[in-house]
Amino acid sequence: MTIDLPALLVSATLLAGLYATMSYGLALIYGVMKIVNLAHAGVMMWGAYVAFVFIVNLGANPFLAPLFIVPIFFVFGMLLQRYIVRRVMFAPPISSLLLLFGMWLIMQNISYLLFSGDTRAITTKYTLMTFQAGGISISINRLVVFFVGILALVVLRQFLGRTYMGKAIRATSQDGDASKLVGINTDRVMEIAFGMGIALASLAGSLMALIFAFDPDFGRSHLLKGFCIVVLGGLESVVGVALGSLVLAIAEALSVLWIMPAMQDFVSFALLVIVLVAMPGGMAGLVGKFKRN
Amino acid sequence: MKSLGIFFLTFLFLFGLLTLPGGEVMAQTKEIIMGAALPITGGQSREGGYFKKAYELAVKEINDGGGILVKGYGKKIPIKLIIYDDKSDNTTSVQLYEKLVTEDKVHVLLGGYGTPLITAHTVVAEKYRVPYVNGGGATGAIYQRGMKYIFCILSSVEKLAHTLMDWMALEQDAGKLKKPVRIALMGENTSHGKEFRQGVLDRIKAAPARFQVVMDEPFEMNLKDADPLLQKVKAAKAEVYLADARLADYTTMHRRYTEMRLYHLVVSYGPRGGEKAARDALGTASDYIISCNWWHKDIPTAAAKTFADKYAKTYNEPAEWFPATAYETVRVMVKAIEDAGSLDKAKIRDALAKMDMKNSLVVGGRVWFKPNGQIDNDYVMMQNLPGGKVALIYPKEVATAKAIVPIPQK
Repeated sequence: MTIDLPALLVSATLLAGLYATMSYGLALIYGVMKIVNLAHAGVMMWGAYVAFVFIVNLGANPFLAPLFIVPIFFVFGMLLQRYIVRRVMFAPPISSLLLLFGMWLIMQNISYLLFSGDTRAITTKYTLMTFQAGGISISINRLVVFFVGILALVVLRQFLGRTYMGKAIRATSQDGDASKLVGINTDRVMEIAFGMGIALASLAGSLMALIFAFDPDFGRSHLLKGFCIVVLGGLESVVGVALGSLVLAIAEALSVLWIMPAMQDFVSFALLVIVLVAMPGGMAGLVGKFKRN
Repeated sequence: MKSLGIFFLTFLFLFGLLTLPGGEVMAQTKEIIMGAALPITGGQSREGGYFKKAYELAVKEINDGGGILVKGYGKKIPIKLIIYDDKSDNTTSVQLYEKLVTEDKVHVLLGGYGTPLITAHTVVAEKYRVPYVNGGGATGAIYQRGMKYIFCILSSVEKLAHTLMDWMALEQDAGKLKKPVRIALMGENTSHGKEFRQGVLDRIKAAPARFQVVMDEPFEMNLKDADPLLQKVKAAKAEVYLADARLADYTTMHRRYTEMRLYHLVVSYGPRGGEKAARDALGTASDYIISCNWWHKDIPTAAAKTFADKYAKTYNEPAEWFPATAYETVRVMVKAIEDAGSLDKAKIRDALAKMDMKNSLVVGGRVWFKPNGQIDNDYVMMQNLPGGKVALIYPKEVATAKAIVPIPQK
């Protein structure tokens, strides 16, 4: 049985774009606030449903719908941080974990109430549309998601590196107290960072809805994958997340040459354990070490 | 002294009548309590909703006719139906079935929906020896635990696989499929998927001149990337593609199958195929997919048509298989009580074990149970046609059209 390796690698690379998009938000929130956003899956799920409403019910263009969805969730994220998450910021970590887990369950139940448990899918003129490149069939939807992943990385890098707020976010993530001393409004920074993290999760959800069928339980397995990627990439580095996504997607794709496809998730979690033990800084830490040496 | 003796004898007589076997005949039973815990909310709420509607429809019909005729009482007794919401959660389902038995004192139990829930809560029915019939959990493993009080009117998933393979054998004999035909086989990594794969492999082993397996892989549910799996399918160079997947995975996989421009002479996802959600999601990509199911509204029998019309009129929606088998579950239990002539649970259980109900809406028209409590009827096979249509292609008695094999290549 000869597997088409180039096709497999192309597909894995495109998938990496999706993985990266769904992990940026997790990395950003953890990086700044040192909390693990368990509601990330719920936000991706809500992103999918809002995309469904925009595209199926309101007839919006599937690739333009995120332009409306992202700002909505950015504001939602900021309000969530200001009125709810901030209250547990300095409590033991278990408090924020439980709070956000509870938020996820609430979001799931609201979705069951509004949309029932029916599996939904978004079908547009781009669904199933492909083009051939070098004998490989490439899906338009997946290509768009890949480019959005790249664009999100570029925008984030520029924002975090060249804007005042971006630098303030990086400063706060490095040392919150020192940031306050130099006049940074760290409460505002955290609000914005959390809002951005939620917005990125909703972007991922709205794009994933073009590829996957979904229901109110959607996002659970993607959240676990997101943790693996964030750890693999380095907990606070968006470039690391992008690299980690690529490494994971390729590792999973190539693993089927030797193990059952049913064991693909095993690859993700095995990598997670290995990285935590051998490379706690993730790939970003490894790259940083090389640079220093 | 004499009056004391008469009083004492009268007391003994009345005591004996109320406590000795047959004492129930004299007790006043105003209603027959049937109970069920269904996933009204949660992940299985869609199916649970169908089951609830069908149970209520069936019970209303029977009560409109006065109730169930129980010979031992010499009269018809109406049904009291109790339905709880198990929220699609195993633990809650078990607790609610315990409640139905210990607090609500049900006479009989009706099943829930979904293999995991049914696997969990059937233990309760068996523990308390309450007759239980379900039309929502087909996995054979549920009925291989040596339980005596559990019955199911859905044929096993293994039977689904056998039906599919037997149909392919007929297509081979009709010259529409080559012999032997190479099969790529996949199934979700659950008891449902394993049973499907095993059923296919059984038939392959029994007829190597007809079938060869060139790929056999399980996969995890909630696929994030179907590519590696489908690349294996492509590399296997099979002629037939068989998979067992849930709706979400079926949609994900078949979209990717279509994007990769894969082609096979026959494509089947087991029981998946004609669901509206999938046809909407896949569009023309879902055309010609073969599926097997326990019932379809177009089955040309009087019982099936009567139910389909009744359900559509009552609930203003077309009947799918879920409410059909749920409705029949109630009818089977009613017949068992009538045959038992009693509300004695052991007698009802025995009546179920000996059941031979004709003119049923199930495929084949007859309900009878194997020693393990599960029915063994054929499935009805369907093929999606262009324009959102569906044709019934097997068995011959219910077929509305011939199957289009091989699938036209685009």
